[in-house]
Amino acid sequence: MSLKNCYNFEDFRKLAKKKLPAPIFHYIDGGADDETTLKRNTNSFDDCDLIPNILRSVGEPDLSTTVFGRKIDMPIFLSPTAMQSLYHPDGDKASARAAEKFGTMYSMSTMASFSIEEIANISSGPKLFQLYIHKDKSFTDDLIDRCKRANFDGLCLTVDTLVAGNRERDHRTGFTTPPKFTLESIMNFAMRPGWLFRYFTNKKFELANIKHKTDKGTNITKSVIDYVNEQYDPQMNWEDAEYCIKKWDGPFALKGVMSVEDAKRAVDIGCTAIIISNHGGRQLDGSRTPFDQLKAISDAVGDKVEIILDGGVRRGTHVLKALAAGATACSFGKAFLFSLGAGGQQGVERLLQNMHDEIRRNMILMGCKSVKELDRSKIIYRN
Amino acid sequence: MRLKDCHNFYDFRKLAKQKLPSPIFHYIDGAADDEITYARNSSAFNDVDLVPNVLRGVENVDLSTTIFGKKLDLPFYCSPTALQRLFHYEGERAVGKAAKKFNTMFGVSALATVSVEEISSLIDTPKMFQFYFHKDRGLNDSCLERAKAAKFDVMALTVDTITGGNRERDLRTGFTSPPKLTLSSLFSFATKPMWGINYLTKGKFELPHLQDFVKEGTDTNTSIGNYFSTMLDQSMNWDDAEKLCSQWGGHFALKGVMSVEDAKRAVDIGCTGIMVSNHGGRQLDGSRSPFDQLAEIVDAVGDKLDVICEGGFQRGTHMLKALSMGAKACAGGRLYLYALAAAGQEGVERALNLYKTELVRDMKLMGCTKISDLNRNNLRFRNA
Ligand SMILES: Cc1cc2nc3c(=O)[nH]c(=O)nc-3n(C[C@H](O)[C@H](O)[C@H](O)COP(=O)(O)O)c2cc1C
Ligand SMILES: Cc1cc2nc3c(=O)[nH]c(=O)nc-3n(C[C@H](O)[C@H](O)[C@H](O)COP(=O)(O)O)c2cc1C
Repeated sequence: MSLKNCYNFEDFRKLAKKKLPAPIFHYIDGGADDETTLKRNTNSFDDCDLIPNILRSVGEPDLSTTVFGRKIDMPIFLSPTAMQSLYHPDGDKASARAAEKFGTMYSMSTMASFSIEEIANISSGPKLFQLYIHKDKSFTDDLIDRCKRANFDGLCLTVDTLVAGNRERDHRTGFTTPPKFTLESIMNFAMRPGWLFRYFTNKKFELANIKHKTDKGTNITKSVIDYVNEQYDPQMNWEDAEYCIKKWDGPFALKGVMSVEDAKRAVDIGCTAIIISNHGGRQLDGSRTPFDQLKAISDAVGDKVEIILDGGVRRGTHVLKALAAGATACSFGKAFLFSLGAGGQQGVERLLQNMHDEIRRNMILMGCKSVKELDRSKIIYRN
Repeated sequence: MRLKDCHNFYDFRKLAKQKLPSPIFHYIDGAADDEITYARNSSAFNDVDLVPNVLRGVENVDLSTTIFGKKLDLPFYCSPTALQRLFHYEGERAVGKAAKKFNTMFGVSALATVSVEEISSLIDTPKMFQFYFHKDRGLNDSCLERAKAAKFDVMALTVDTITGGNRERDLRTGFTSPPKLTLSSLFSFATKPMWGINYLTKGKFELPHLQDFVKEGTDTNTSIGNYFSTMLDQSMNWDDAEKLCSQWGGHFALKGVMSVEDAKRAVDIGCTGIMVSNHGGRQLDGSRSPFDQLAEIVDAVGDKLDVICEGGFQRGTHMLKALSMGAKACAGGRLYLYALAAAGQEGVERALNLYKTELVRDMKLMGCTKISDLNRNNLRFRNA
């Protein structure tokens, strides 16, 4: 199997599984507890059907939309994800370059393996920075100042990770960052010599954005879970969010809003967007899915803020359904991480090309000239 | 597989299966008829989703709840289950001590293998005695008086076992108590030598609450189904329950209430709590699951007595859903029984700690710091 045989999510996933050491593959692939929410994230799209219109002389549909003050050429972008250099040595550089090529947004995690400045230097495409609030408040100020100087377009504050989710696959595989070579895991790594070779011959693993602030940034021979539980501030509240908005003074989103009540409050404190997300099913298992909750949130605040649907998106039709239900755009994590693991920048580009083609084809089949034409009249919910 | 490899309910189940002779494992693991109700007890939780709230400042989470006038540090407790020394040689001693460590309620079955007196000398934390209504009134009085003298906090009358459920796995494996070594079961006992050694060397197996009254208490091989059908009084009615309630004179609950009508009647006869329960799917197959029925019952009587949701819990999030729906506490049997079989007291402690850790984490993710923060606004039903 090679990149040119990858036509969909499952293909990229399979190839990534072949290329990555098992603990790393399962870190991407796994969810919390019984993974019921993880599965439902994608399955919820199947409870809603698309209704095409015919004979509309569609021509070449316009897939562009505007998020965080930037026009993007397709209505889906890359979610912020941690430690991308574990999946491919080029990590964030590969994804940022691929996103720019397709005119869509790249998002950087606080826990990225390249720094804000390194990425700003190689890409002038749309960029979103994802913030975690640490107990040490000077972290926050420092990160926001640097994003400003580096001309990031938007900022999002993740609010669903006050405590690390229960990822049982990680307990079993012994996933740590940087990878710890225990007897148990060594077999897994040894069976992926290509990955090992690249890992050791490229630059040292680090959490580039925070390493100057904490020794934890480089030498955590502990799991991300411990890091989250020790460093993130569980007392984070609405005032903290407001503080970030004022300090940033630009397009701003909360990532991980799920209740209508919180969505309204996000509008009140000055968010320009909200990202409906359950962190890809990696945090609270049994929690509702973004797509199931989208309609209610869009009814409440859809005319006041941009709504990003994040989680479970695998197909162009999923994007169409989300936009029809009221989303401004979608974002995805696992899908592009598998493509990154499968083939670096080239892999992500292939994924974005596939996604672009699917959305375009399906827009034509739906009889829509632009994404603005996607509204509730285009979908019916089964129940 | 070892205890430290157990990260969830299913892992404990696997380890228990490894350690127990198969008739005993299947006695715990099995349920009535086609086990449809048993499966639904857990899958019912999947028809409702949690909706978290964000940015609420959740550093310190308080999981405590008060039922039957007792403050528990955890919103769930160990349901009374029979014959625990078959599962691990320490039996009720192990479960009781673990419950004490977490300051939660320990339910002791009428068919316990350690006496109420011994349990009360071991633990001073909240205790519930589960009562079966026997034909022999002398036996009933003796159980009640002994539980009272041993300072048990709550009496729970089980009302869903008026006759034995049809546990087909037990028919196939030939489960009896104490275990009878038939040719068909011999093999599975022989393949678990540690269980056999502990069973034979760590004290005689007995049912201390019954043994003075019946031969079924000790030596005769009898199946549990038989016990229910021959010793329990099938004519038990509301008057009997009411009399028992006043004879006990303290916190009193009916265990196994499923209809709104019966829940209201429980209030009328003076109960201070009810367990919405179908006996872990072990009795009437096809009956409704506790979680499916919970909302109606809470709406009808939730302000008048403590409504406890019992059965099917395998995860902290399952408990969050029941508590959001209005249950005062959650209770379960298998959630600690597999762990007991897997590793005795240490196993039960690991299990309780695991659910506790899950609950704390999940409360934080929900944006809640105390149990009373949970309510139906946190829930959305899939088909609504
Ligand atoms: C391996 C991995 C790492 C992630 N790291 C972060 C992170 O550092 N910050 C964050 O806000 N979200 C993180 N997420 C969540 C994603 O931003 C996104 O919400 C999620 O992946 C969407 O679901 P999907 O994978 O089904 O598309 C991560 C997700 C994955 C799979
Ligand atoms: C092995 C076993 C023995 C039980 N013995 C009793 C008992 O003696 N008295 C009683 O009232 N309930 C008994 N129960 C029912 C439990 O109290 C409880 O209702 C049930 O286990 C809840 O379902 P769960 O196992 O899914 O949590 C027993 C359950 C099991 C699994």
